[in-house]
Amino acid sequence: MMTLKIAFRNIFRQKRRTILTALAMIVGFALSSVFIGWSDGAYSDIIEMFTQNRIGHIQVHGDDYLDKPSLYKTMVDYEAIGQTIGSVKGVEAWTPRVYSAGLGSVGEKSTTVQIIGIDVVREVEATRFDKKIIDGKVISAQPRHEAVLGKGLAKNLSAVVGDEIVIVSQGADGSIANDLYEIVGIAESGDDITDRMACYLHIGDAQELLVLEGRSHEIVVIVSNINRVLKIAESIETELGDSTLDVAPWQVVAKDFYRAMQADQQGDAIGRIIIMLIVAIGVLNTVLMSVLERTSEYGVLKAVGTKPIQIFWLVVCEVLIIALGSIVVGAVFGTAANHLLSIYGITMPQEFTYGGIKFQTMYAEVNARSLIIPAMTVMLSAAIVSLFPALKAARILPARAMRTH
Amino acid sequence: MANNDVIVTESITKVYAGNGVPVEALRGVDLTIQSGEFTALVGPSGSGKTTLLNLISGLDTPTDGKVWLSGKLLSGMSGSELSDFRRDNIGFIFQAYNLIPVLTVEENVEYIMLLQHVSKAERHRRVAAMLEEVGLAGFGDRNPPQLSGGQQQRVAIARAMVSEPAIILADEPTANLDSRTGADLLDMMSHLNIQTNMTFVFSTHDPMVMERARRLITLKDGQVESDVMK
Repeated sequence: MMTLKIAFRNIFRQKRRTILTALAMIVGFALSSVFIGWSDGAYSDIIEMFTQNRIGHIQVHGDDYLDKPSLYKTMVDYEAIGQTIGSVKGVEAWTPRVYSAGLGSVGEKSTTVQIIGIDVVREVEATRFDKKIIDGKVISAQPRHEAVLGKGLAKNLSAVVGDEIVIVSQGADGSIANDLYEIVGIAESGDDITDRMACYLHIGDAQELLVLEGRSHEIVVIVSNINRVLKIAESIETELGDSTLDVAPWQVVAKDFYRAMQADQQGDAIGRIIIMLIVAIGVLNTVLMSVLERTSEYGVLKAVGTKPIQIFWLVVCEVLIIALGSIVVGAVFGTAANHLLSIYGITMPQEFTYGGIKFQTMYAEVNARSLIIPAMTVMLSAAIVSLFPALKAARILPARAMRTH
Repeated sequence: MANNDVIVTESITKVYAGNGVPVEALRGVDLTIQSGEFTALVGPSGSGKTTLLNLISGLDTPTDGKVWLSGKLLSGMSGSELSDFRRDNIGFIFQAYNLIPVLTVEENVEYIMLLQHVSKAERHRRVAAMLEEVGLAGFGDRNPPQLSGGQQQRVAIARAMVSEPAIILADEPTANLDSRTGADLLDMMSHLNIQTNMTFVFSTHDPMVMERARRLITLKDGQVESDVMK
């Protein structure tokens, strides 16, 4: 108790130095907190856009489709599978898709297209497909030989709403598949790669074209909390209980994207370490000065019977008390900054693309990580930084120390 | 070693390696001080008085020779053991008072007893009695910088004596005080010495201390030049 009392009172002896030490820690904490809040917010947006626009949170496929996609690897009775998935806790929506490649022609122009057969009602519910329509309308709920083209594809084919597109592909029975569809809308998903190829058809039309009646290649699942996606994927797998079905969370579906993000996050961690290193050097300097200034006092404490370990803890306690105070103040500033950035965001002068998805305004996120990680980092670096001065004080020779002024 | 020998030194030497040139501060000092003595180490500056006090108390280690305190050999004790030994057996009074500035008078006096895990009630009883004894009753809540030099030295005396150690080592205790305050404090220490039978060893230049001391050990060039019982 006395050690704590002395440590606490020592902090207020050199107010200017304490304020400087605390300021370094507060700035370090707040910067680190904003760094995490900002990058978590940005990554959440990127993941949300990436999953919502392209792959969903979880995908269910026929065995091995993900590694080697093929027209023939389909799920039969996908409606029943979908109903089972929909009953799993945490699943918000699901939607089936049929995929194939083909040749699309509008007037004189032709290009390769990715045929995406969608259940319009479910797709709107799951991926807000209607919000992606920038011209025209969504495909009708019933199959009416209507198509929506991705913005890039429409541009390549010089197609506008009201034109007709001829699609030539291969049917699952080996026949040549071709049909004529009315372009009813142009979609922009924010994902350039998808938009350059995507030709959305009603799932019924796609099944008819590709001779895949009653079958689908993929079921896209949207969950209510993306942070629980792995658990929910496990639950779906258990609920389905079918070894011929692959249940893959987005981290598996988009391995490369996920790895790139993780590498980016590691880069952010290095940035945070550099910030804390600068703070730690500043703190080390002030603590060392403080110990040096009080050498004589430590000598007296030792002379009257204070053990070296008690002197050691005295110095460590002083630094940790300042660190605790700094964490509280830093948390207030860091949270306030993250809160403001989560509302107003920062708009970049130009759009940028990540994982094929365009962004311009980035928002921060207020979360526990943005407080816990800086708090642990500040406490840990304060503890480490205090070790050397504390050892120095503990090892002081009383007679020599008391001669120091 | 007799039963009532509290300090025994055997051929202790101390060589400081200052700036590459070795300086011999003590050159083979043999000394025995018995319980209840009121002894002054005197001699010119650089004669080795403070060095001898530091070695006796284990604040420094001799280059050669041995020191026994209350029958215990100091050499070979670890830093922690020495701290415990000093805490329980030696009280210090320094020229510059050396109080803990962030603690109040009461807390300064109480500090050693806290290290000794003395109960709260006992601590308070002894602190109150000791402050009364040194004439500082009512000053318990003040901080050292709010006191005069004489008052601070009284606090230091109270701190040194409150845990009832066997030996009080006082390094130039009156050097920073005016003669009247110094004389008052010396009378007080002399009185406490008689009252409690604690052993007092001073290092001093002060004729007032020499006058009151019952034994005068004169050091010169790191050796005992004379040892006079009065």
